Amino acid sequence: MEIESKGVSVTLSGREIVHRVSVQVKDRQFVGLLGPNGSGKTTLLKSIYRVLKPSEGAVCIDGEDIRRMSYRESAKRTGVVSQFTSMSFDFSVEEMVLMGRAPHKTALSRDTEEDYRIAEEALRRVDMLDFRDRSFLTLSGGEKQRILLARALAQQVEILVLDEPTNHLDIKYQIQIMDVVKSLGVGVLAALHDLNLTLMYCDYVYVLKNGSVVAEGPTEDVITEALIRRVYEVDCSVQRHPKTGKLHVVFFPGSVGKGE
Amino acid sequence: MKSHINRRHVLLGTLILVFLGLLVLSVLLSVMIGAVPISLKDVYRIILYNTTRLAIGDADTLTHGTLYEIVWNVRTPRVIMAAVIGVTLAVCGVVMQATVQNPLADPYILGISSGASLGATFSIMIGASALFTGVLAAMGTAFWAFGGALGAMGLVMLLAHMGGGRLTSAKLVLAGSVVGSLCGAFTNMMIYIGQDAENMKSVTYWLLGSMVSARWDKLAMPGICLGFGVLFFLTQTRTLNTLLLGDEAAVTLGVNLGKWRRIYMIATSLMAAVAVCTCGIVGFVGLMIPHIVRGFAGSDHRFLLPLAALSGGIFLIWADVIARVLIPKSEIPIGVITSAIGAPIFVYMMVRKSYGFGGAD
Repeated sequence: MEIESKGVSVTLSGREIVHRVSVQVKDRQFVGLLGPNGSGKTTLLKSIYRVLKPSEGAVCIDGEDIRRMSYRESAKRTGVVSQFTSMSFDFSVEEMVLMGRAPHKTALSRDTEEDYRIAEEALRRVDMLDFRDRSFLTLSGGEKQRILLARALAQQVEILVLDEPTNHLDIKYQIQIMDVVKSLGVGVLAALHDLNLTLMYCDYVYVLKNGSVVAEGPTEDVITEALIRRVYEVDCSVQRHPKTGKLHVVFFPGSVGKGE
Repeated sequence: MKSHINRRHVLLGTLILVFLGLLVLSVLLSVMIGAVPISLKDVYRIILYNTTRLAIGDADTLTHGTLYEIVWNVRTPRVIMAAVIGVTLAVCGVVMQATVQNPLADPYILGISSGASLGATFSIMIGASALFTGVLAAMGTAFWAFGGALGAMGLVMLLAHMGGGRLTSAKLVLAGSVVGSLCGAFTNMMIYIGQDAENMKSVTYWLLGSMVSARWDKLAMPGICLGFGVLFFLTQTRTLNTLLLGDEAAVTLGVNLGKWRRIYMIATSLMAAVAVCTCGIVGFVGLMIPHIVRGFAGSDHRFLLPLAALSGGIFLIWADVIARVLIPKSEIPIGVITSAIGAPIFVYMMVRKSYGFGGAD
């Protein structure tokens, strides 16, 4: 299953935040979306998961325009973990995860044994099974984030859209969440801040700046010292680590805004 | 594999049955109480005969006489009306809170109560015949109250849509309070220039709500409308749960938020308007009952909605009993009772702290 944005622009209160961006996630590909704060990553993702409407262009799943699908239909195929916003009502962790089953249910159908099993499995994957009866609002930021991922897992989708999924998480759970997502074998589009995590997990990246794609390609080809300098305005060194065999980025202190 | 039959769910399911039993019991017991005490046996006999034609004892007293009149034509419709209105307001409160994602919302949030007050005050203080001729002039207070409620609702929706953009809860709440104070100003103006003590009393009486007018023929319409409304919402619990998660989460879980929010708001407001024009403005029930029930049943609408509905019915039946017996030979407006009971309970819940009014502490 593939998802892509075709020349999507998004305008918010008269300002164009995203300008003709085309990104594509091929079947089972792990795609990273990079860019500094305010570069339009979140806005682009929101237009992909239908919270914002593009002012031009289209978002397609397997070539079919999502505007022609019901919300339920797109929710059966695309799961989302976004940055958590506050909620005024409380639910238990288990109830929260079970809501991931909503797109597969009709108004009157009950939660079946199967739904509970799926929810339980999702909680186990994010290592939160012991929390199933806890109230969601009493959880820490990182725990909430893992529950939201569990909810998206319970949705059993073929495409996951993640907006900074590792926010609020300590390093153990950053790696755990990325491992879980990677192991699902589904298409992933993730906005990420951490370049090292990007290098560890992403097959392909797009780099956004001021609402436009400034670079794209296989992760290791794109993340270079020159690009980081150009996009994030910091100096760094990109090296191959002898143990992992992967590239990693080391930043230099005091390098902001110097040079060029 | 652990069975999904969760202990909590069993408990809440049982509670629904218990509350259903309590509601039936409340109906039977409350018909006994009043200026003329009537034995449970007579109440049971008369209600049974008139609903199922099963005669117990002297058949003549089942369809004639003072006892029959009081039980079947005065108290029973009144108690049923209290139950219907209580169920409706509680359900509308729960749905409205979910729809605008604000635990402080009540069924009147779209200006229903202020619009209805304006309409009713106009009808009582000035009188429709002073300004209109023909059909409009002949319409009673209930008509003007309903009209006022719909007018206010339309205005709120219009204001909330103004300036484009999506329909957000904040816009609705603000538009609701703007229309509320506008209608309030006109209502007060009419009362002030009216200066007629008798009319003023009937306005006050109307605004505070009463079940006094209940009769079988007047009960049919609201009963049917509200019954369908409540049944509709009982099928919507899954969508309602999703709405509580917030706009964005609802969309990503496949709920067409804009569409459902509009449908729910219009449906609850219409139901509230029907309730208001039937028996005046009964305050606090639609706000308080959902909170109290959420305090022990949680936010899951599969349990919250039926439990709140039953609690609302039971609560209003007993509030109405108090309204008619507290002062002998006189009636207290039911809104006074609901607020007088509701406020201390609310304070207790605030002090108890374990309940965060929907949010975390």
